[in-house]
Amino acid sequence: MNNGRLYRRIAVAAVLLSLLAGTVLMLILGKNPFLAYYNLLQGSGLAPKAKYAAARSMWTDLSSFIDFWTPMIFAALACAVAMKTGLFNIGISGQMLVAGFLATITIGYSGLSAYLAKPLVILIGMAAGMAVGALIGFLKYRFNINEVVSSIMLNYIAEYIISFFIQTRFVDPVSRQSKNIGAAARLTLQDVAIGGYKFSIPLAFVLAVIACVLVKIMLDRTVLGYELKAVGANRTAAGYAGIRVGRSMIVSMAISGALAGLAGVSYYLGYFASIQPKVLVSTGFDSIAVCLLGSSDPVGILFSSFLIQVIAKGSTYMSSQQGLESEIVSVITGLILLFSACSAFFMGLVVSRKNAKNNTKDLRFGDEAETAPAAVTAAVNRPAEDKGGEEA
Amino acid sequence: MQTQTTTGDYIVEMVGITKRFPGIIANEDVTIRIRKGEIYALLGENGAGKSTLMSMLFGMYEPDEGEIFIRGKKEKITSPSYAASLNIGMVHQHFKLVSNYTIAQNIILGAEPTKKLLGFIPIVDEAKANREIAEISRQYGLEVDPTAVIEDVNVSTRQRVEILKMLYRNAEILIFDEPTAVLTPQEIDSLLGIIRALRDGGKTIILITHKLEEIRQVADRCAILRRGKLIDVRDVPGMDAREMAALMVGHEVQLTAEKSAAKFGDPVLEVSHLVVENEEHFQTVRDVSFTVHAGEIFSIAGVSGNGQTEIADAVAGRLKAKSGTIRLHGQDITNMSIRQRTLAGISYIPEDRQQVGLILDFTLRDNLGLKDYHKEPFQKSGMLNQPVFEENSEKLIDGYDIRSANRGSTMVRSMSGGNQQKAIIGREIEQDASLCIFVQPTRGLDIGAIENIHRQIIAERDKGKAVLLISLELDEVTELSDTIAVIYSGAFGRIAPAEDYTTSMLGEYMMGVAKDNAKNGGGNE
Ligand SMILES: Nc1ncnc2c1ncn2[C@@H]1O[C@H](COP(=O)(O)OP(=O)(O)OP(=O)(O)O)[C@@H](O)[C@H]1O
Ligand SMILES: [Mg+2]
Repeated sequence: MNNGRLYRRIAVAAVLLSLLAGTVLMLILGKNPFLAYYNLLQGSGLAPKAKYAAARSMWTDLSSFIDFWTPMIFAALACAVAMKTGLFNIGISGQMLVAGFLATITIGYSGLSAYLAKPLVILIGMAAGMAVGALIGFLKYRFNINEVVSSIMLNYIAEYIISFFIQTRFVDPVSRQSKNIGAAARLTLQDVAIGGYKFSIPLAFVLAVIACVLVKIMLDRTVLGYELKAVGANRTAAGYAGIRVGRSMIVSMAISGALAGLAGVSYYLGYFASIQPKVLVSTGFDSIAVCLLGSSDPVGILFSSFLIQVIAKGSTYMSSQQGLESEIVSVITGLILLFSACSAFFMGLVVSRKNAKNNTKDLRFGDEAETAPAAVTAAVNRPAEDKGGEEA
Repeated sequence: MQTQTTTGDYIVEMVGITKRFPGIIANEDVTIRIRKGEIYALLGENGAGKSTLMSMLFGMYEPDEGEIFIRGKKEKITSPSYAASLNIGMVHQHFKLVSNYTIAQNIILGAEPTKKLLGFIPIVDEAKANREIAEISRQYGLEVDPTAVIEDVNVSTRQRVEILKMLYRNAEILIFDEPTAVLTPQEIDSLLGIIRALRDGGKTIILITHKLEEIRQVADRCAILRRGKLIDVRDVPGMDAREMAALMVGHEVQLTAEKSAAKFGDPVLEVSHLVVENEEHFQTVRDVSFTVHAGEIFSIAGVSGNGQTEIADAVAGRLKAKSGTIRLHGQDITNMSIRQRTLAGISYIPEDRQQVGLILDFTLRDNLGLKDYHKEPFQKSGMLNQPVFEENSEKLIDGYDIRSANRGSTMVRSMSGGNQQKAIIGREIEQDASLCIFVQPTRGLDIGAIENIHRQIIAERDKGKAVLLISLELDEVTELSDTIAVIYSGAFGRIAPAEDYTTSMLGEYMMGVAKDNAKNGGGNE
């Protein structure tokens, strides 16, 4: 169907619009927007800089960009799986933190050999995220607690409890963060010397690409994916068809949580090696915009996460080159995220425009009806009336 | 094509209208001219393009080709609100009312009479609204209580509210899209009376319906559409039902299905002392017992809202029984999940096709596999087998004449109402279940399709299936049933073989006037 094509066009338009808004902002500030955008590419290792420090090059920048990109792929996939089921997982950051923390204290400080430690970090991260996700799903199913509310609350609980433990037991007195984990447990290989340059190799990136493929297959080709999408598109009809709606929601949140857990370990035990207390990373929240921009589709997410992360990563270099305050740079990144989140809205707008021409408004929205934005509006506006009703 | 012929006779002229959707031409060069003050019926098979044609008149979409003249003046109707300004109103098949507003609030919504508080603050003049509504109701015999809240009133009242909404906005041209599909026979009679009164009051009426009898009763002229094209426009007096039907489908149709005597087998479904409560702990089903045998069509007749759909939902597992037992082939299924019951051999056509029976944003192919996707060969070790889905959908589309723009790949949302219904019917009959629960199976279907489905239902019975039929359509009940139970206020007034009832008796039991404490059907227990 031309559904996908239309969505892609809208996503591209949203990105262009946001870059345009950034351009206007920079012109007002008297900066050259083209140079600034070029700086973004340079900062992410996609274009050569004028000069490099010792043992650095465009390629080392690129590898560290990929390192930075990896957690976002996992996080956006986590968002997508929930969204396809009509759920809104806003607790990805909390799930990342729980996963990162548990993997850090169990394996990160253990001194196990790399061959044992790395797989264990991944497994523990997944399991921890999965447990939190499943808990949210269970609360919804059993007590009809809206998943948005419970995940926000769990975010706080995770943030403060974990801060408490870090500050009382695992703190590094100098950095005021948790002590660095051992290199053996770290998912990113540090300072790998190749041809005179020092690379950081993100092993989890391979996993992220595999996860994209697996999630895509899961959603499009499996019985599980069919059930999750049915629940997302029409809970009543899914129940009528014999699908256990409550169970599907728990499963979906568990998968989403597991992916968030992977995002957590690739962030806290990959890109970084420690955890800053009392902070929830923005990756989990930004991933929602990334997911929407990628129309909740794993392939779309690969592109949208790349784009957003280029901007996020390159912005430090941009601010130093252009003499822009980092706050302004954050405003520009924020604008881009805002516009991408709006792409769902634009989609709705275009569809309803088309409807005015093509469709009966009462019962049809034509074949353009896009599940992702529908799911978002549903998730955001949904009162607590929906039951995770399930027949034993 | 002669376009500019606009005589003062016609209030609505749609000339050379063509509307295409990707993959299908919904209307092809259709020209209709409607005189002021007549009842003009639109007749046609499911998917013939009736709703599409009227949606263009009501501004919900624009024609690709052709012109529309209103009162002789060429108009480009770009939105429903513009249509309203031309005094065009439409009652949709699915009502659009705010359920927690009162009737009066719903009627005035968007066109509120205002008065000035303290001379300058505009507020809604409810008193005036109520006065005006009472006035209009009296004029056309549409009694409603303006202060009642929508969610507390029944379907036919809601429909009156929709009609009042149009009249309140001074609509002169009233479009009704399948208004009688949701009504009981008595309600239909009263609606037809209202429609006549409206015409006599000078309104112009366009009526879409699949029921030839209704056209015969009220319409002055009738346009017949087939596959998007206008076949003929006839004066209704002097036309007979058989001829209309033949014009509509393009060949002779048999108007009553032939049925041989039933051969009852073993009991399939045994329901005893079933009680169902709703969320407010009100008993919607009170102590109901009955048995359906293999090879029997057992109908529950009744005015809508008397607990019949709750019985169906309880048997299918969508509602929990408060007490009582449900047995299938002697096995107690009272506490089984929906899936377990499906596997045990229950298929179910639910009352609400759009909310319950279908996933509108899935393709037709995926919807047709909704009950089977978890079985082999639809899936193998958790992976869906797309070719099997495709094969299944091709089979059902052809077997049940499901019409859509792109066959299996069509989004169900874009299909015509009747074709959505056919999709559910096909899927459920092909389940090959030993008990088929059919609620309003032929709602919104054209006569050709109805006869086809009736034949299929009888064929299922003759294959030894047990059929539990719930229908508001008395003709359907009397034509198909072997046994009829009449329900009133959640309890059965009578269970007896179909031959034992006369139409007037059925009516009395349905209204709860007559009652003989129903014994369990089929003599079990
Ligand atoms: N928005 C749409 N997109 C694609 N096809 C459409 C759309 N709306 C209608 N159609 C197609 O146009 C045809 C005519 O549909 P329409 O709803 O007008 O039929 P109808 O005569 O009202 O049928 P019914 O009696 O079943 O209600 C159908 O084949 C339908 O699938
Ligand atoms: Mg229609």
